[in-house]
Amino acid sequence: MSFFSRSPWILHYDGSSCNGCDIEVLACLTPLYDVERFGVLNTGNPKHADILLVTGSVNERNIEIVENLYRQMPDPKVVVAVGACACSGGIFARAYNIQGGIDKVIPVDVYVPGCAARPESIIDGVVQGIAALEAKRKKTA
Amino acid sequence: MTSLIAFLIAFPIVVGTILLLITRASIRNPIVLVASAAIAAASVATVVTFGNGDGVFFGLPGGIVPGQALLAAEIAITALIVVIGLMNRRILAPIMAIAQLAIALFLEVTGRMPEADPQRLFWFDRLSMVMILVIGLIGTLICVNAIGYMHDYHRSNPMIKGRRNVFFSILFIFLAGMFGLVVSNYLPMMLVFWEITTVCSFLLIGYTRTPETIGYAFKALNMNLLGGLGFGLAIALLADQHLGLDFAKLMAGPASGTLLAAVALLAFAGITKSAQMPFSSWLIGAMYAPSPTSALLHSSTMVKAGVFLLLRLSPAMSGSTVGYLVTFVGLGTFLFVSLVAVTEQNTKKVLAYSTIGSLGLIVGCAGIGTPELAWVGVMIIIFHALAKGLLFLVVGTIENRLYTKDMENFDTLLSRLPRVSVLALAGIAGMFIAPFGIVVAKWAAIRAFLLVPGGQGAVMILIMAFGSSLTLFYWGKLLIKVLSMRSISDYERSIERRISRYEWFTEGALAVGVIAVTASIGLISDRVVGPYALSAFAAGPQTFLNIEPAMLVVMLAAVLFLPLLAVWASTRKFDAADFYTSGRSANASHVMGAALGGSKSVTLRNYYLEGVINGAMMFRVGTLACGAILIAMVTVGMVVR
Amino acid sequence: MTPAVYGVLFVFLAPVFGGLLAGVDRRVSARMQGRIGPPLLQPFYDLGKLLQKQARQVNPVVEPLLLGHVFFMAVSGVLLLSGTDLIFIAFVFALAALFLVLAAGSVNSPYSFAGAERELVVLLASEPFFILMMAAICKVTGASTYAGVLASPQLVAVQLPGVLLAFLLVATIKLRKSPFDISTSHHPHQELVSGLTTDMSGRMLAYVELAHWYESALLCAFMVLLFNWSVPLGLLAFAIAYALEVLVDNSTSRAKWQLVLRSTWAATLVFSGGNVLALFLLSR
Repeated sequence: MSFFSRSPWILHYDGSSCNGCDIEVLACLTPLYDVERFGVLNTGNPKHADILLVTGSVNERNIEIVENLYRQMPDPKVVVAVGACACSGGIFARAYNIQGGIDKVIPVDVYVPGCAARPESIIDGVVQGIAALEAKRKKTA
Repeated sequence: MTSLIAFLIAFPIVVGTILLLITRASIRNPIVLVASAAIAAASVATVVTFGNGDGVFFGLPGGIVPGQALLAAEIAITALIVVIGLMNRRILAPIMAIAQLAIALFLEVTGRMPEADPQRLFWFDRLSMVMILVIGLIGTLICVNAIGYMHDYHRSNPMIKGRRNVFFSILFIFLAGMFGLVVSNYLPMMLVFWEITTVCSFLLIGYTRTPETIGYAFKALNMNLLGGLGFGLAIALLADQHLGLDFAKLMAGPASGTLLAAVALLAFAGITKSAQMPFSSWLIGAMYAPSPTSALLHSSTMVKAGVFLLLRLSPAMSGSTVGYLVTFVGLGTFLFVSLVAVTEQNTKKVLAYSTIGSLGLIVGCAGIGTPELAWVGVMIIIFHALAKGLLFLVVGTIENRLYTKDMENFDTLLSRLPRVSVLALAGIAGMFIAPFGIVVAKWAAIRAFLLVPGGQGAVMILIMAFGSSLTLFYWGKLLIKVLSMRSISDYERSIERRISRYEWFTEGALAVGVIAVTASIGLISDRVVGPYALSAFAAGPQTFLNIEPAMLVVMLAAVLFLPLLAVWASTRKFDAADFYTSGRSANASHVMGAALGGSKSVTLRNYYLEGVINGAMMFRVGTLACGAILIAMVTVGMVVR
Repeated sequence: MTPAVYGVLFVFLAPVFGGLLAGVDRRVSARMQGRIGPPLLQPFYDLGKLLQKQARQVNPVVEPLLLGHVFFMAVSGVLLLSGTDLIFIAFVFALAALFLVLAAGSVNSPYSFAGAERELVVLLASEPFFILMMAAICKVTGASTYAGVLASPQLVAVQLPGVLLAFLLVATIKLRKSPFDISTSHHPHQELVSGLTTDMSGRMLAYVELAHWYESALLCAFMVLLFNWSVPLGLLAFAIAYALEVLVDNSTSRAKWQLVLRSTWAATLVFSGGNVLALFLLSR
């Protein structure tokens, strides 16, 4: 047990989505779910983040951004794909400019299904992300 | 020792005359080097042979009194001003010069001018000793630096007609004037040296002879001649009332009556020369001259003559209304120029405002007239001369390499000119980070102001609190720019190699000096400045600052931190593009991909507090306020007697 | 115990104090927002994690400058408690804060730079007050050291009500609370990304946190100076002041830098300046 499991800081990035999952991600911060109980912070800054929480799919224009954000996160780091679009492209998968899920661009550690994903499952995904974070830390340490 | 002092005054004049006749750099440069070394050695020798006593007085060999020679010198100076003034169609300066000469002639002809005591022509004490070292070491380093600087200056400014023989000639005569000034005890003789420095600075500021610099040169001349006129009137007043013209005797204790009036006039002269408001504009104008001129005027000569005089007057002003008003001119200047400085983008001007502010602190200290504050004043003179001399030379070097004086263009200096950055950081650290530099002086000043009774004490402390914070702001901005880093090309890396060895040597020597003086502050305080302050005020033994060894180590670390960091960091490799730009990729040259394709460049600009502080208005307000206080000061001095 | 011992204790205990204070702060803030909030020791977990995480070097000078920031913050406290002149402390305190500005400014990136400039503005806004406060405390008690002030029979706060009032305002800057937290914009707020800490990762950010804990402890020590009769009284006053700060933090949005500068200077000038002036006039 290291400090990582007690202090997972999150960077939330919205690719091509309908914003449904984003609303649910923010719902996790509200008094009803209050993820700060577990030390989770929404940092908005890749350099401070441990977990990259991506909603929505990857399109031609945001590949560069997703890659850049991921590259700027210091190790150890994990990626949690939230919602159908982030996992596989979802209902936008066949659209002309959509590449597909986040794993087309960066390695994804946890897939959270749902359209939109429920706050409970998002929190569950983060918890699994923490486990992946721990595993990565052990590997590098 | 007496012959050494005679050497220090006469030798630079001889060198200056020789240099005037030499137009070839290959002959001139060795002469400048050797003469500078000789002057520096002589000034150190003077101090060494002086030992560590209180003041001594001496005259010329054979008991010669320089009565007629002084008058002749004054006529020559006046003639020079009249000729140059009329050639440039300026009338004010010649009128003031003639008025001053008329006072001297009147005193001489009517036989009112008291004869000098042949054995008390010169006065050498610890304050003179500090000044001799400042002029002899820092002044000569600036002369040597000018060899390298002026070479590059004329190459990058081909329109300006090279008259480097005149330039170096004036530099040396300037030094002679300063040496004479700080050891004079007979007031008319001091006035002659005073006017020599005025004329020399006038010629140096106007060196490039563009309409702009000629205007600034005359502004400097007019203001300083006005001060000189005050000096002359003070002499006339003293002569008329048969008080004698022996400076040391007059300034031995608190003045009253006619003497106080004379003190007020002399303080007026000191305030003009030290560029206090309302006379600050001449020193700002001097910024348009080549950088060695700025360095010389700001660090070791000229303005230091003004505060030197005020410190000499300090025991006489002690406790008087005149003294308090002088203090408020100084502190008011400190506050207002600091307000102006935070809005200023030209680095040389920021340095100039900082100089005026530091001088304001010294003036503020001198006016109160206590041993503690005299101690503070001399400490600031030492630190300021070293650090500011260094900074002006470094900014001159940067200007010749990067062709800019704009603070905004100094960014990533640490990557572009790493070794110059080290020197710049040493200068800035010595100027304001050094807790034993200006900061210690500010601390000691606040301590002393706490003891000033009544509301004026509270106002002094308020001014110190706000003024100090403002200095933090503008130095912080400069530091941010100097300390930032980026990747650079091989071409940019080669720029630094073209700096001349004269500049490396002189700036390096000053940087070492800053650190050495910081390290030995306890010694300087105990052996030189402390005893000076006690003997000047005939005060009993006391310690000025209780500096514990542990504190000294911590604080020396503070001074060394940034320069050493720069030395270390400039050799390290790093990924300069790895900063956060909202997911967009940016490269090391600050070019970002734009949203709809193409690219945009990022510009980072310091805050100048637009909308909150109006620099130009602050300058006007300060000029008016300090001008009013100054008029009150002279009036009180004249009326109260 | 000798003053030097207090100085050494400060080095080790101040971070504990500062960290706990931050933990209480986050819980109280959460309760104000109807949440439960993180564990009390959360700031320590965060610090531990940051130290374990990779630190990306944006350039070689950031880390030394941040270490300088921590070092001089700690030194300010050590000097304060071990009996150095109070007015001198005000200058060292400002120097310590300046190192953070330099670290962020040296990154030369848009968000860090904006944060650094704003931090410089709040330094300019707050610094006059601290110099004035120290001068006023020295004037009231006639002492020049921490122990000297505590030994003084005068209750400083009674003589310096204006200074106390201005302290509450200026402490908002130093505790990095809204509406004056314009340079870091602490989580959960995200304007300016994270201001001057934007490009600091891993242990770099840990240094900033650590230095801030020292800073909080220093502010508490300053409060004790104002309530110099007993240390518990000073701590109580600090607790009340801090509670007010948290309330203000949670109920205001950030101000523009112009407003921060103007209001802080006005408060310093009117409340502290007026107080000091009265002090000088009455102490004839």
